[in-house]
Amino acid sequence: MTLGAPSSGVCLNLSSGPVYRTPSVTIHPAALFSILDHYLRRTDTQQRVIGTLLGTRGEGDDAVSVRGAFAVLHSETSEQVAVDMDYHRAMFDLSQRVNPKESIVGWYSTGSNLNTYSALIQNFYSQETAPYPAIHIALNTGTEAGEEAGVKAYISSPVGVFPKPENAVFVPIPVTLRVNDAERSGLHLLENAPTSPVGELAQLESTLKDVLDMLDRVLAYAQEAAAGKPADAALGRYLMDALGAGTEELGKGGFTSSLQDTLMMSYLANLVRAQAEVSARLALVTAP
Amino acid sequence: MAAAIAASLPAPQAVSTPAAPIHEPIPASMSKLIDIEAEIPLNLVQLEGLVVSKIVKHSSESHLSVHGLLLGLDLDGTLEVTNSFPLLHNSGDDDDKSSKTISMSDFRRNTRETSAHLPWQVRADDSVVGFYQSTTMGAFFSQTLVDTQAIHQEKLRHGGVVVVHDVSQANRGNASFRAFKLSKEFLDAYRKTPFSAKTMINHKLTFTSILEEVPLKIRTNPLLSAFISSLSKRRASPLVQPLPSEVYHTSLPSSYSTLDLGNPTLTKNLENVVEAIDNYKTEEGNLAYHIRQIAREKARAEAYVAKRKEENANRVAQGLAPLPEEDITRLFKIPPEPSRLESMLMLGQVDAYAKTLEGTSSLSLVKMYAARAGMDANHEVFP
Repeated sequence: MTLGAPSSGVCLNLSSGPVYRTPSVTIHPAALFSILDHYLRRTDTQQRVIGTLLGTRGEGDDAVSVRGAFAVLHSETSEQVAVDMDYHRAMFDLSQRVNPKESIVGWYSTGSNLNTYSALIQNFYSQETAPYPAIHIALNTGTEAGEEAGVKAYISSPVGVFPKPENAVFVPIPVTLRVNDAERSGLHLLENAPTSPVGELAQLESTLKDVLDMLDRVLAYAQEAAAGKPADAALGRYLMDALGAGTEELGKGGFTSSLQDTLMMSYLANLVRAQAEVSARLALVTAP
Repeated sequence: MAAAIAASLPAPQAVSTPAAPIHEPIPASMSKLIDIEAEIPLNLVQLEGLVVSKIVKHSSESHLSVHGLLLGLDLDGTLEVTNSFPLLHNSGDDDDKSSKTISMSDFRRNTRETSAHLPWQVRADDSVVGFYQSTTMGAFFSQTLVDTQAIHQEKLRHGGVVVVHDVSQANRGNASFRAFKLSKEFLDAYRKTPFSAKTMINHKLTFTSILEEVPLKIRTNPLLSAFISSLSKRRASPLVQPLPSEVYHTSLPSSYSTLDLGNPTLTKNLENVVEAIDNYKTEEGNLAYHIRQIAREKARAEAYVAKRKEENANRVAQGLAPLPEEDITRLFKIPPEPSRLESMLMLGQVDAYAKTLEGTSSLSLVKMYAARAGMDANHEVFP
């Protein structure tokens, strides 16, 4: 799954230095949301915000997983760009204490314009991530008219006969959003925000309602197809596969024994809770 | 190459001129909402989307229980938590407190240093309003939690809150966040050492009344919710003849992990219950031993006093001067009454584990009947 509109562009790898395989980047929601929060807290004069990306490198150095990010102060004027390196160092030391596994993998900026300053900052971060190439994540917040929210990732290569830090070619690389089960459930909460966390039974209920809605849609489609409306044969076969899934493991015998086990658990849990409550109350009893 | 960077990055100090704090008078419309003395009681904890994802990330990285600081502000009874910062993992219980305080003071120092000369940092909330803790199977009562929270109670505005995140529920597809603070009765009792049976009775304390839950709300700022909705938007596949499962693709596919029939954590949960009960039993044994010890010493002291009185009565009858009454506290060392806190917390653990077990088993009961209904229907259609 790609972030943002799929690109049809052909990428040329113009790397002239040591040749790396094109890294593939996965990004976790915590990093994305940190960037958005930083953007929200920018000053009026700032066109874009930048910061450091923290993450881990997988086996073979070509799979980079961006797991977190922190903001770095910088200023851009028409003449110069400055990055507060002291702050960057201090923040990195702080995060290193808590999570020594995460190292600097690159930097982010908001907006999608890559300019000379981007090349300079990229040059600075390349020294931080050496010997690996620095990853640049450009996050488009979608707040400007005509621009769609999305995330793009780049690595850079020097350009020209005499490479200068302010000149670089940014080569797009694939970036995907990676969510594990726990993060997925956190995101589900955020999708329905503002909300309060609910119990598991309520969660199951809402999921079942979703499934019922989907079944209704499929049923409507199937009835239309049965009535003679042209339908997709591939879709029919897909539905057949999806809905014909067996539930044999819950066969007649299995169901009863499993039911007994579950009821036993429920009984035991209730018993333990009742005993605990009684014990707590008994501790408060005084002799008359 | 180095010369080029130095030329283009002139003196980073140039940008970090400290901005003098400007104290504006509180506008009249806000005067009722801002309470400098923290007089408005907290009635809602509001977690920002960023905090949710940061806590989930931090918790899922470690198998152990993790904790961190919550940063934010309170306004009109709503505690807005806008950022969080993870603290060090600690392995042992002994160096628990020391490592926590070290890292917390580190953090304090760092934020203070940086916020002094970083204009943007002033825009982010950097006041500590509480801490978060991850847990498995819903059991989070521990001495550390209570101790830390009791320290916070004195240092932080509103006494700070603790947000508990259940990792095992999150892995099953339901992110659970709950906010707590220590109850007033418990704090009163906690300050009195030793935490004896008498204080417990006076304050009517059971494990259910240690913490009081504060309602919790999840909020996303408009930018974040716009971004999430654009992530979860379905896009048509660019392929000409895609597979039916790939006609639409989205960066955030829905997961239906709550519908999974199996429950892999059930055995572990049961083990936890048994273990918690064992721990509680041992602690109760220790308590009973201490109490017997106290009773024995007291009986000996009383016997001694009675004997001395009898002797004195005899001597008076015989016309002799009575022996002086000796200080019995010096002769008999009556051990102090043991603290009941540990055993109360353990009982809380037992109850929490059992409650989770109850919840999951009732959930799987529902799922089993649903699955059987589905299976029966399937048999009718495809006999």
